[in-house]
Amino acid sequence: MTTTELSQTEGPASGVKRKSRRATLLIDGDVHPSYNVQQMAPWLEPDVLARVREFGLHAHGVPYPRVRNGAMRLDSRPEEGHELEMVQRQLLNEYEENIGILIPMAGHHWGAERADVAIPLCHAINEFICKEWLDPEPRFFSTLNVPMEHPEAAVQEIERYKNDKRFVQILMSGTAESEIGDKKYWPIYEAAEDAGLALGVHEGANSRQRMGVGYPSYYLDEHVGMHYTLSSLALSMICEGVFEAFPKLQVVSIEASISWAASLQWEMDSAFEMLGRELPHLHAKPSEYFREHFWFTTQPIEEPDDPNDLVVAYELTGMLDRIMFSSDYPHWDFDSPSRALPATLPTDVRDAILGGNACRLYGLDPVTAKRR
Amino acid sequence: MTDIIRGAIDTDVHVEPPSIDALRPYLSGYWLEYLRGARSQLGSVYGPSLPTSARPEAREAGTFPPRTYEALLAQLLDPYEPRAVILNSVSTFLAGQNPYYQAAICRAVNEWLRDELLDKDARLRASICVPLLDPEAAAAEIDRLADDRRFVQVLLPIRSDTPWGNVRWRAIHDACARNNLTLALHAWGGPATTPTWTGYARTYFQDYVANAQLIAPPQVLSLVIEGVFVRHPELRVCLQELGFNWMPSLMWRIDKDWKSLWRETPWVNRRPSEFIAEHFRATIAPTHFPSSATASDVAAIARFLNAENFLLYASDYPHDHGDDGTRLLLDVLGEAGREAVLQGNAEKFYDLQLAPTG
Repeated sequence: MTTTELSQTEGPASGVKRKSRRATLLIDGDVHPSYNVQQMAPWLEPDVLARVREFGLHAHGVPYPRVRNGAMRLDSRPEEGHELEMVQRQLLNEYEENIGILIPMAGHHWGAERADVAIPLCHAINEFICKEWLDPEPRFFSTLNVPMEHPEAAVQEIERYKNDKRFVQILMSGTAESEIGDKKYWPIYEAAEDAGLALGVHEGANSRQRMGVGYPSYYLDEHVGMHYTLSSLALSMICEGVFEAFPKLQVVSIEASISWAASLQWEMDSAFEMLGRELPHLHAKPSEYFREHFWFTTQPIEEPDDPNDLVVAYELTGMLDRIMFSSDYPHWDFDSPSRALPATLPTDVRDAILGGNACRLYGLDPVTAKRR
Repeated sequence: MTDIIRGAIDTDVHVEPPSIDALRPYLSGYWLEYLRGARSQLGSVYGPSLPTSARPEAREAGTFPPRTYEALLAQLLDPYEPRAVILNSVSTFLAGQNPYYQAAICRAVNEWLRDELLDKDARLRASICVPLLDPEAAAAEIDRLADDRRFVQVLLPIRSDTPWGNVRWRAIHDACARNNLTLALHAWGGPATTPTWTGYARTYFQDYVANAQLIAPPQVLSLVIEGVFVRHPELRVCLQELGFNWMPSLMWRIDKDWKSLWRETPWVNRRPSEFIAEHFRATIAPTHFPSSATASDVAAIARFLNAENFLLYASDYPHDHGDDGTRLLLDVLGEAGREAVLQGNAEKFYDLQLAPTG
């Protein structure tokens, strides 16, 4: 159940049976709040806002027209000032979600601006998220935005919020200015590990990407191809020894599908058998770092003709206990909590994907939904 | 090391001219003078010190890959008696950024292949080397050689600065199609391409893994979604030295997005995975399975991929990809599937017109 049109039929009136025998919380690992620079005004120095208004922002993605409705669900156009109410109604209440993890992706772009703009903008959106989303709705947790191309300032931003339990992970872009495993970013990894925060890496990125291939012409191509930013990131972090240096660091691959992870592990291990001498700082097979440090969110869930093939493909990753449900609300390819997962998943695995795994990663109590 | 199977059709064997001097008979006066001053040599993406560049017996032979017919005979043709072999000379990937020099070197290497190898053994076939920075010149080189049916495909590196399905490359698509030649995408890239999504590899390990894991999937998407197979319903693409166990995941994902986004590219008028199954094949060397992979791992991928139709045997001689599960793969395919992968698929895909086996 993935298309915009079909999801509209899933309203309360359609008589969809909710899953009542759920043994764990339902946690949605990828919910997108909207935002714009103007909304950041209360937390910005007037001269910063004026400069941004006059001269614009510069770290852009590459635009691909979304054909219809700007990549949003057709029914997700709130009246001004009523977005929170819409998300509560269409997502949290409709599906009885206990927790939604917000992923405002400002840091991808704002975090790569010049320091005197990047730092205040990333701070402003964290304050905006607190005020507009976390304060009024306790079912939301969020991802912290940091100016990742200015690691010292990013560390300060992590320090500032590390005791606010509502922030569960730190947003990193898969397409950094340097290779993501570069020591430039290690202060961020160190601060994340110290604070017990995961890194959340959502697909979607700046224009510095696809360097070995080039840009496709169409959104259909770009949207699927972008998964490989996550493969590139995993390869870089493992090879550069990030997980030797930060053995507790955890990385969440968000909205990048999952089944590629078996192939990546096989090839890394196969190559390591021939080329391992080049990586003397690694003390385990690449797949072991991958399995011990990476997590996934499910949306956009792969849809083989036989849904059971996806169960097999998940098993091949060896990471069933690191897969977390996500809907990607309010985007066009929303996955429904009640319908997206293959029916043949064993019940315990299904419950873990719907909530148990996220509880483990984010330190959430599986009964009270409180964060430790 | 990678297993070499006797008596098969081997769709990826590497050869190179012994030196740039061996190309002198095929170069004009201008290029001879250019080379004399520039001291250029043939490039290599397989450095001699790298463990993956040569199997032990190739290393013992001194130079690798084979640079003469005699070396190819001694190292591969005599010991393994392949029914047919497709020769790849990938040094032209690194023939600099001067499009005219690229064209001259590719033409020279193609003539060298013809004189020094194809003319000496009826089992040999070859890929056409083409300049990568001038699609019209590439098309002209394809047209020039196309009547010689011993050239069975056109060789491009998997890495590019613009995806291979893009309209910028239409002259190459069209030349392959009008001459009934397969388009081969082979691991590695030209001198100005990078392996990771954000730039440089810091290790050979990353460089090596990137070909299949980071670069090949988006190239497949590009060829399908840009409509290359709608314009050319008979065009075939062979993925060489790029593995295949990443393909099922890609097929599931692109089919899913297509169900909703088809309006953007209405010429993609069937499920994208159907275009992939119909128009693409992949060579089996390397399989990219580690020694820890189990028969059930390999069997699952083989089933998802319909591997008995999709895969073509290759030794990738002289490269060594370790204990990569070639035998495990052939075993899980069953008798008929194994025979198809070892011979039948390639014979049909390339229309090789071989004498029947005795």
